[in-house]
Amino acid sequence: MAEVMPTPRAVANGEPLCELRHVDKEFPQGSGTPLKVLSDVSLAIRPDEVVALLGPSGCGKSTILRVLAGLTQATRGEVRWHGAPLEGLVPGIGFVFQSFALYPWMSVTENVEAVLRAKGLPPEEVSARAARAIQTVGLAGFEEAFPRELSGGMKQRVGMARAFSLDPELLFMDEPFSQVDALTAESLRAEVLDIWAAKDRNPSSIVMVSHDIKEVAYMADRIVVLDANPGRVRTVVVNDLPRPRDYRSPGLLQLVDRLHDIITGMEMPDVPVPAGAVIEPIPAATPSEIVGLLEYLDARQGREEVFRIASDTHREFGALITVVNAAELLDLVDTPRRMVVLSPEGQAFVRASPEDRITLWREKIVKLRVFQLVKEALARDERHELSREFVLELLALHLPDESYEQVFDTFIGWARFADLFSYDDQTETVGLQH
Amino acid sequence: MRRRVTNIFGAAAAFLDRSRRFGWIDAALLLAALAGAFGVARLAAEWTGALRPAVEIDLSLRALPRYTLLSLSRGLAAYVLSLLFTLGYGWWAAKDPLAERVLVPLLDVLQSIPVLGFMPGLVLGLVALFPHSNAGLELASIVMIFTGQAWNMTFSFYHSVRSVPRDLGEVATLNRFTGWQRFRWVELPFSAIGLVWNSMMSVAGGWFFLMVSEAFVLGDHDFRLPGLGSYMSVAVARGDGRAMIAAVVAMTVMIVALDQLLWRPVVAWSQKFRVEESGQAEAMESWFLDLVRRSRVLHWARGALGHASRRPRPRRERAARRSAALARAASLLLFVALLGGLAAGGAALVHLLRALPGAEWLALGGAAFLTLGRVLVSTALGTVWALPAGLAIGLSPRLSRVLQPVVQVVASFPAPMLFPAVIAVLAAAGVGLGWGSMLLMLLGTQWYVLFNVVAGATAIPADLREAARVYRLGTLQRFRELYFPSVFPYLVTGWITAAGGAWNASIVSEYVTFRGDTLMTDGLGARISAAAAAGRFPALAGAVSVMALVVVLFNRLVWRRLHRVAEERFSLTR
Repeated sequence: MAEVMPTPRAVANGEPLCELRHVDKEFPQGSGTPLKVLSDVSLAIRPDEVVALLGPSGCGKSTILRVLAGLTQATRGEVRWHGAPLEGLVPGIGFVFQSFALYPWMSVTENVEAVLRAKGLPPEEVSARAARAIQTVGLAGFEEAFPRELSGGMKQRVGMARAFSLDPELLFMDEPFSQVDALTAESLRAEVLDIWAAKDRNPSSIVMVSHDIKEVAYMADRIVVLDANPGRVRTVVVNDLPRPRDYRSPGLLQLVDRLHDIITGMEMPDVPVPAGAVIEPIPAATPSEIVGLLEYLDARQGREEVFRIASDTHREFGALITVVNAAELLDLVDTPRRMVVLSPEGQAFVRASPEDRITLWREKIVKLRVFQLVKEALARDERHELSREFVLELLALHLPDESYEQVFDTFIGWARFADLFSYDDQTETVGLQH
Repeated sequence: MRRRVTNIFGAAAAFLDRSRRFGWIDAALLLAALAGAFGVARLAAEWTGALRPAVEIDLSLRALPRYTLLSLSRGLAAYVLSLLFTLGYGWWAAKDPLAERVLVPLLDVLQSIPVLGFMPGLVLGLVALFPHSNAGLELASIVMIFTGQAWNMTFSFYHSVRSVPRDLGEVATLNRFTGWQRFRWVELPFSAIGLVWNSMMSVAGGWFFLMVSEAFVLGDHDFRLPGLGSYMSVAVARGDGRAMIAAVVAMTVMIVALDQLLWRPVVAWSQKFRVEESGQAEAMESWFLDLVRRSRVLHWARGALGHASRRPRPRRERAARRSAALARAASLLLFVALLGGLAAGGAALVHLLRALPGAEWLALGGAAFLTLGRVLVSTALGTVWALPAGLAIGLSPRLSRVLQPVVQVVASFPAPMLFPAVIAVLAAAGVGLGWGSMLLMLLGTQWYVLFNVVAGATAIPADLREAARVYRLGTLQRFRELYFPSVFPYLVTGWITAAGGAWNASIVSEYVTFRGDTLMTDGLGARISAAAAAGRFPALAGAVSVMALVVVLFNRLVWRRLHRVAEERFSLTR
């Protein structure tokens, strides 16, 4: 094979820096089957590229990043680093955290210097490198400040300075701008790209996790779209728009549209799931969120585009999709492509009085298999009571791929709203109400 | 020419200015350091001095400062020991999952064992170990105080290390911090606040054991040590009222000085280790810390120290891996040694206990019920006054500003110092020790309830109180529906601590030597004291084991459940 030096951007097919091959990841759950977060994920990070992992919450984006970094071990499959199996931690990476992960008892300089000192560098180099990194991210003058004195954006600058000071070959960023205000995030994105674009220096490649479609279209060369529950690679979209990119350029807008379609196509399938032997999972949305969505649609002639709803309601896209799916499961809305439309039943629900809403809601949910199962079990029980454990086991049996504690909480929320079952948090028992 | 003169003058002025900043605080610090060195030298002489058959206590006021400093040195030495133990044991338990399974339950048992039950064995053993010097007796006293200080600090540290936020730990892992760097930069700072609070509590509680151990007499052996505790006991024996008051004043001065010169500054300084962004609304301040921060000497010293610690150590991957393997081996070895020690200790205990006849066990069971009753009644009595008082203090910012420091000092005051005075009053009133001992227990433990209620009352959110006012809830309804439920979790914590203290106090309050006579009432504490005084070790071991068992059982069956209910139903932070 020819020597491929990581020089120009055109090299997108060089030997991978790191790679996942058929990786599964499971987390043990209290009892019963372990929760599968990643299923057969294969992914290669090549020199000189920005790769974004895009997907709804719960698709294991952060887990992929941590497996790549060697922070958690894969349950099955192989993690490779420069062509050899990875042992322990990946050497020479920078990691930028969503929560910043700064030590609150250390000043800006001390936070950066700590990782350099851990590398065993001589003191002069430690202070020189730290000073340079702090300068690079525009924090000169804040060297002696403590993290609690800084705004979110400035904290993330410290996080970036800490990563850059190591001169890492690879930079991992886990939702780096989601806890930073929108304007600051804008400038941070451009700054990260500037630093990355200086070809004589590291980082060679960036892997970032995001749920912001515009952000990945602006930053990434390749966008890995992930499925949730368990996390799987849905598709990889190559983004070869020229840099520097412009948010309003037709090419970028087109790409954003395409990504929207891919995500809505997979998150809100137009063909209903065939009702088979398994019971349908209930999406983790609260009744008040669902009612809120219906009210929102009702105020807009009963229809709106899903991305518009997300930005109007300041919702993370994945979280909004959960609410939409829940409403659709109850036949309260329809989702032709990217639109969310109030169904006649949804309209009737919105117009109904509070008492009638409860009755309508109850009629809806008793059609769902989960509620039928629990209702039957309650009817069989002589005291008409079931323990939380029993219901959890029931859910685990029928919904092996879900986090059943979460399903249980949603289940109880819906049943309480319908005045169908009661739940006593102290004794952890489900009772029959109606 | 003129400019040069100005320059020279300027330089000289700058030099003078700099030297002027070498202010009186620096002089005071240097003086304190010298005094400390001198004190340590004197202490060493005291320790290695020939064993006294019996201590001669000088009741003159001139001798009092020396006794106070001796007592202080024991308290501080025990604290240093506790801190070292905490860091070692807590870290080991948090890091080694195998050892954790033994270390944590062991710690739970250790903190349930009444410390004073160990005293006779400990004193006799250590004195035998150093037959010709005072070191054995001094060590025994320090170890006694240590056993009263260490456990809660260790628990706090262990929990902190276990609960370092995931991302902060990941930064350390990703950047391959060495074990020491992780400890120094992540784990220790993260545990600092809990450690500081528990240290304060522990040292305050330690004075209780100090007073008892300094005035320790076993049968006709005099094991007293020169210090405030023995000073007080001699003053009581001789009926010297002036000396008694002087001792109380000296103790108070020592506690206040420690609070102002040590704990205040440390608490204020430790605020920089807060993790949550907001939290604690009031800024912690300390005049002494502000003064010390102005010191130049300290600044230099810190710079020099910092520089020395920053010398880089080149990292060698293989060496790191080898040292990790070595650490694992050492941990395993220690663990095996620990298990061996536990097994040997258990065997020795069983051997001792087998000598105890069945009838005695039965009597011990009855005594356990008596003492349990006293512990509960004294805790209840404490609650009856401390709950309303704590609410009153905690709900009024003015009152809490004025009373909080006072309460802190009073709470640190070792109750055994006051026992003689209370017993005299009880004797005059014709109240026997059966009831009187509850009052003695109360003396030491009521403060825990008060403290916690005050803390709980201050933490009631303003909006809940405003809602109660807007809807015009009456006093009784407000108490039943707002105040009591919101302070309940704190109250439970207070009860647990108070009851633990009361068990310990039972040993010195059910069996009292007063003006040459021995007063006692049946109970587990009295049985421990009596067995110790008579040197009947099987009986002593039996009584201590029963007490530990009852405490552990009661913790499991009652306190822990109550605690869970409090957390689940009445916690305001969930």
